[in-house]
Amino acid sequence: MKFRIALVISVVVAGLAAGIYFFRPHTFHGTVIQSPDPSYNFTLTSADGDVSLSDYRGKLVLIYFGYTFCPDVCPATLANVGQALRNLSESQANDVQLIMISLDPERDSPEKLAEYVGHFYPSFIGITGSSEKLAEVTSLYGIFYQKSEGSTADKYLIDHTATLLVIDREGYLKLVFPFGVTVDEIADDLKYMLRQ
Amino acid sequence: MNKYLLNGIYAIFAVIIISAFAFKVFQPIQVLPRMQLAPAFNLTDQNNESLTSEELRGKFVLYTFTYTNCPAPCYNLSTTIQEVQSRLSEVELGDIEVAFVTVSFDPDRDTAEVLKAYSTSINADTEQWDFATTTNKALLKTIVGSGFETYYEDKGNGDFAFTPSFVLVDGWGIVRAEYRYQTAVPDTDRILRHLGVLAEEVRNSTGSNKLAYEAAHLFLCYAP
Repeated sequence: MKFRIALVISVVVAGLAAGIYFFRPHTFHGTVIQSPDPSYNFTLTSADGDVSLSDYRGKLVLIYFGYTFCPDVCPATLANVGQALRNLSESQANDVQLIMISLDPERDSPEKLAEYVGHFYPSFIGITGSSEKLAEVTSLYGIFYQKSEGSTADKYLIDHTATLLVIDREGYLKLVFPFGVTVDEIADDLKYMLRQ
Repeated sequence: MNKYLLNGIYAIFAVIIISAFAFKVFQPIQVLPRMQLAPAFNLTDQNNESLTSEELRGKFVLYTFTYTNCPAPCYNLSTTIQEVQSRLSEVELGDIEVAFVTVSFDPDRDTAEVLKAYSTSINADTEQWDFATTTNKALLKTIVGSGFETYYEDKGNGDFAFTPSFVLVDGWGIVRAEYRYQTAVPDTDRILRHLGVLAEEVRNSTGSNKLAYEAAHLFLCYAP
């Protein structure tokens, strides 16, 4: 009898450990936002015409604010997202859309943006708009940006918040990745959200 | 199947469900919701210097919105901030800084000089408390109206209709609490308690504890 009780206790303990491991909640690598309101729906211009966030309802949308002359932070992030999408299955990757919003409309024409983002992943979209429109969109997505001091008229850098935002299939901001998030971390969170 | 094994499996599920239920009911950890991203901005403060959302990163910031010509009896928004400020030592903040920002939605009259005079008249400690606005009214409406979700409207006779509110933003630029007069009088006890809850989360949600804190968010274990 004692043996059987010990056996049951052992099974419970081992099973509990396994159960907690398998049923543990997914720990997101980004910061989870539980917003009661849908994300601000912007409309900006791509090489193929106007693009609105709402056009991609039903897909996970990653939004990244940057510019094509960005020396390191932007290409590193876009390359990581591209690689993360390649680590997903084809059907999963088709359900994810990255939109890069250029903060430098003076130098980044929609055509130039399309060519730039295409280097990182074929489906990436690049959009931009007037400085007034960008000021509104960036403010509402918590993105601060300004021309770097010491820049000249045509050679300048733009300091900007380098977070990567994830909008869920229903248009709600769900995740905020900090700069430096790895390929595996992005892929892990996207896979989880795609299963939802 | 061996009935002991089956009982064991039932027991495992029971323990997991009871644990989750207990976590939800007893809420051993409480958090503030991550409501939305706070708007980014570049305003001009009472010293005619730029005040950006970026330089406030890493600090807990309590925002409020008003205009200095608000006729009496106006809402005592500044009094609430002064009370919170004077009682900050009651909160275990560690090395986290707290800042206060009063945003004016009347840039025509609330110039830097006027804001400075106002801050002096109410004895504000401007080391920790900034008064700011921007002359770009469209952007101001975006920041205060859409970003901080605080209603205001120029009535055209020098007065503004507005919803008195406070918004608490964490060091990552995420809105964690809103206090509005319509739903509850925002008392200092509540704001101070929330600052304490936030500080505790920053201190403790590292390593394996992060999972417990994320569970608290998942189970909506929100501090009252």
